[in-house]
Amino acid sequence: MITQEKYRTTVKELLANGTIKMAIGYRPGSTSDRRRPLFIRTSEEADQLVLDSTCITNLSGYLVAEGLLSDEKRVGIFLRPEGIRSINILAAEYQLNVDQIVIFGFDSTGREVRPLQGQTTSDFSALLSEIRENPPLTTKEPLLERIEKMNAKERFDFWQQEFSRCIKCYACRQACPMCYCRRCIVDSNQPQWVNTSSHTLGNFEWNVVRAFHLSGRCVQCGNCDRACPVNIPLRFINQRMAKEVVDGFDHFAGLSPTQEPVLASFKKDDTETFIL
Amino acid sequence: MTRILFSDKLDNCVAKWRSAGLTVIGPVQGESLSSYATVEKGTDLHLGMVLPDRSLKELFFPQTEPMLRYTIKKNEIETADFTPPSAQRIIFGARPCDASGLAIDDPLFGWDYKDEYWFQRRNESVIVTIACTKADDFCLCTSLKLAPDSTKGTDVLLRPLDKNRGWLVEELTDRGREAFAIISEYLQESSETALPTVEVPEKFNLDACVAWLQNPENFDSKFWKEISMRCIGCASCTYLCPTCHCFDIQDEGDTYSGIRRKNWDSCSFALFTMHTSGHNPRSTQSARWRQRIMHKFNYFPGKFSVNSCSGCGRCSRQCPVDMGITETLQEISKL
Ligand code: SF4
Ligand code: SF4
Ligand code: SF4
Ligand code: SF4
Repeated sequence: MITQEKYRTTVKELLANGTIKMAIGYRPGSTSDRRRPLFIRTSEEADQLVLDSTCITNLSGYLVAEGLLSDEKRVGIFLRPEGIRSINILAAEYQLNVDQIVIFGFDSTGREVRPLQGQTTSDFSALLSEIRENPPLTTKEPLLERIEKMNAKERFDFWQQEFSRCIKCYACRQACPMCYCRRCIVDSNQPQWVNTSSHTLGNFEWNVVRAFHLSGRCVQCGNCDRACPVNIPLRFINQRMAKEVVDGFDHFAGLSPTQEPVLASFKKDDTETFIL
Repeated sequence: MTRILFSDKLDNCVAKWRSAGLTVIGPVQGESLSSYATVEKGTDLHLGMVLPDRSLKELFFPQTEPMLRYTIKKNEIETADFTPPSAQRIIFGARPCDASGLAIDDPLFGWDYKDEYWFQRRNESVIVTIACTKADDFCLCTSLKLAPDSTKGTDVLLRPLDKNRGWLVEELTDRGREAFAIISEYLQESSETALPTVEVPEKFNLDACVAWLQNPENFDSKFWKEISMRCIGCASCTYLCPTCHCFDIQDEGDTYSGIRRKNWDSCSFALFTMHTSGHNPRSTQSARWRQRIMHKFNYFPGKFSVNSCSGCGRCSRQCPVDMGITETLQEISKL
């Protein structure tokens, strides 16, 4: 409550003194456990802001949609640590200028929400390094344990079964702040690189493309997983890919706005002879 | 006197229908998702849920469907048609909104071209609907002038008795009567009364919303931009909707041979109706969301005299940013 009130006041001040043109946050949704994105431009809109433990959507994707930042004005945004990491990645990939972003950081444990100190991404570097060293304890997921015990064949069959439900709505892509490509490869149709059909092969192709393209970029905000209307446990794929990238390349995505993207960097002394 | 089907006879009925050559389909709760699926026994049916996550539409209009195989030869093009495998089906335990959705889409699929895929499946399916005695926060059939016991699109309506003991049977069509003749030995005459249907509060005034939508001045209202700012174009609303029916025809294969398929498409996609020239008549998410609302409550009723929404609430239930028909029409009501 106190955090929410403080932030309402801060947002109002920054809007009034022209520091930001808009703040992106949360407001009550259609049921008590739902929150919906809120775009605050006026003091009245700031009064609708809620900030509590049910504010989980990573809102950073809105920053790169439909030219919000093209006028070079500043925008404020409510972000959890994962959201701050995604801002760093977007900056590292030249999708936004961090100087245009004012961060209202927050995190929660149980139902308790607390503010995170700082306003620009560099203010949070210590926090992000700490998260890298000591990732927050996550609840045990029985399904994940089951998947990890599977051999390659069983895993393949498991995912094939899961992907068979995919309807290729691309909600996972749309919900992901890292999926900002103006034209996704699956939407390219001259030539058509990837089948548009949602059959076993097409679903597999899509989900494999997604997994690879997000390797070393995913911040595990869970937007994709929550958006999937057929409840495919997409988080496990991305978690696993993130782990591979940490193990194989010592790369934890989103630490700073200048961190080199792992799949888009090249070293002359690379021991591998093959580049994907 | 009406007839009753007791729940403890459901297994017998399913067996009987199956031995009469019918595929029995109904709501099934999978590990992480519920849908209408084929069952072998009555006990496989999960009739207690409000409604399945996935709609009935996909049993008639699947997400991807092969239409023809083509082979281009030196002087000719060889084609072979695919038609859906013929199967008489009974859908037991449809919800009234899902059944209505089928009836709403019938005129669309039969208007200028009679879609043989849709109608073959429609003609081969008996829809047995169970009236709703419970609803959730998102159900909105009454706002669409439908009801928890609407009979639109239904061949047999079942009204639940108390304590899950069974249903009163209302046979509405010849197709329904034929299907129930197969199991008549399990039906009992009775004068019991059924449970009342659930009260679903009206969420908005549909007529007022439609009048607002029909006013050409509102096509460019700033309302569209405001409401759509949070829409991420994820298409879940359209893909789960029992009445959304857009599709895209795609050739899959190479220049010389392949398969032509009919795949779901969605007005939420940036690519939807994009012209070959690169021009996009709906280049922003707000124009696309406006299309969805206008199509359902203005253009479609203008052509077919029925709204293209049956009030199932899936669009709002699933939307990752908490918007859908309800939220939109409620906002329009306030304008
Ligand atoms: S892949 Fe999923 S979890 Fe990872 S950044 Fe994208 S939306 Fe978040
Ligand atoms: S959100 Fe789920 S159903 Fe939609 S494309 Fe992604 S994996 Fe498939
Ligand atoms: S489900 Fe919600 S976010 Fe997705 S396209 Fe529909 S309205 Fe937009
Ligand atoms: S528009 Fe929404 S409420 Fe209406 S039928 Fe479609 S999914 Fe259901």
